[in-house]
Amino acid sequence: MSEHQSVETDTHNTGDGHESHEHHGGSIKTYLLVFVALCLLTTASFLTYTDFWRDHFSPQAGWAFMMAVSCTKALLVVLFFMHLLYEANWKYVLTIPSIFMSIFLVCMLIPDVGLRMNRVSEERRRHMAVEQKEPSNIEAQPTKNSEEPSAPAKNPE
Amino acid sequence: MSDDHSGHLKLRYHPGLPLSTGKTFMWLFLSTEIMFFAGLIGTYIVLRFGAPAWPLPHDVHLSEPIGAFNTFVLICSSVSVVLALEAARVNKAGQAKFWILVTLVLGTVFLGVKAYEYQAKFSHGIYPQKPHSLIYEKADLPYASRVRQSLESHQLRLSKYESPTEHEQSQLNITDTLLRHFARPVELSAAKSGDMQGQLALDRMAVTIMPREGQMVLEQERLGAEQDQLETRQTEIDAQLQSLREKQSQLQKQKAAGAAASDPSPVDATGDQTGAVGSDPTANAEGADQEIDELDAKISQYAAESAQIQGRLKAVSILSNADHGLNEKYHWLHLPMVIPGGNMWASTYFLLTGFHAVHVIVGLIVFALFLFIRLDVNRIGSIENIGLYWHFVDLVWIFLFPLLYLF
Repeated sequence: MSEHQSVETDTHNTGDGHESHEHHGGSIKTYLLVFVALCLLTTASFLTYTDFWRDHFSPQAGWAFMMAVSCTKALLVVLFFMHLLYEANWKYVLTIPSIFMSIFLVCMLIPDVGLRMNRVSEERRRHMAVEQKEPSNIEAQPTKNSEEPSAPAKNPE
Repeated sequence: MSDDHSGHLKLRYHPGLPLSTGKTFMWLFLSTEIMFFAGLIGTYIVLRFGAPAWPLPHDVHLSEPIGAFNTFVLICSSVSVVLALEAARVNKAGQAKFWILVTLVLGTVFLGVKAYEYQAKFSHGIYPQKPHSLIYEKADLPYASRVRQSLESHQLRLSKYESPTEHEQSQLNITDTLLRHFARPVELSAAKSGDMQGQLALDRMAVTIMPREGQMVLEQERLGAEQDQLETRQTEIDAQLQSLREKQSQLQKQKAAGAAASDPSPVDATGDQTGAVGSDPTANAEGADQEIDELDAKISQYAAESAQIQGRLKAVSILSNADHGLNEKYHWLHLPMVIPGGNMWASTYFLLTGFHAVHVIVGLIVFALFLFIRLDVNRIGSIENIGLYWHFVDLVWIFLFPLLYLF
């Protein structure tokens, strides 16, 4: 790392721009390894689509798993393909603030999600696609999928 | 960064960051892009998890394998950009151009798959905005009216053909049957009752037009039960009609016989019979007339019910044949469908993938321009910058794929 940095500052001192960056970045082999890792991770997140996953894990576990996989993939892309692993310290100046901004943004949205998930008006609950198990609300339920014994007797007049 | 000017006063330009201006600004641009997409994705998550209902991928014709394939395509294109950069570093201009071309092709494949996916949604009436969108949030009276109106406009359009082909004729028949024995009765019962019966009819209408997961099994059972019921009723009515008609014809014969007896000039053919029944007095003729009228009324009543049952049976057979819903079986019908949360889903899906696709298009334009220049070692700055941009596009898709397809 320190070697790379010194190489960089040297090139800039000679005013060469980016002409002699050839030592800067991974080898082809590294890139191919990263590529294989990315493919494997994509397959891994695709696992949540299978019946096996649906039978054994909750959807929340699936979401957490997929986000973990996505973050790992993003990290691989940023570190190797975007060469951030090999860059000098300036990378922190640019990436850390924007990452913090994004994290803050998402954190600020969490209460919003929580609030809307836990407080549902009667009108909204009535039209939920997935039935919510709410004992106080049973009388509003039979609109969906409920077996009415007299159902087939619907003759037009 | 701190360098010592050794004694002499030869001032030299020194960049604030040890990297080229192009790369600095690409990274600045990318950091704004990170926030842009973080905002979009954050909004999506709030809407997704705060929504009272959200469609399953299958309901909105999202195919997870296609999404996974597109992810793979973008990862490949990321690798090919990196390989182009490496080739340019060792001054292999031809090789660099080859890898840029590969990237261009892969990006186009991504866009092509995306276009195919959009087309699949558009053809099923899933649009982000109202004039084209067939998505309704719930099965209510306005929805039933909309279905009826849609069928009526089909009927109007199809009945305008002067010499319809066989196909058009069958379309017209289906539309007629559905309108008379499916849409109108449902709308009527929903408008009249206002209780669970009406709501049930509406829900069943929504299910038969576009069933969501597992709903069609129950609906098929109901339709089967209804069919059995209608058929037994039909045989009952047939038996009734049979006996009534026999009675009627008997009475008519009697009447004719009576008339023939009273008639001063009998026809030759009935001459024998008049002798046989001739003992009946003519006063009976009025009573027979009245009885025949009563029978006629009864027969026409039963016949009307029979016709109604026949029609409903036809509708039931159409509905139960369409085991993936009417919209799937009869694609041309394009009936309004109920997908709770579908409109919000469409808005977010098209917004996120649309913005991503715009970024892909911009990248492809640059790659296309790169095909016209020599990609030797002097160009590695440009290749690196577009590479950074392209990797970022890939990165966004890495997050969008699980969020949109698998959540």
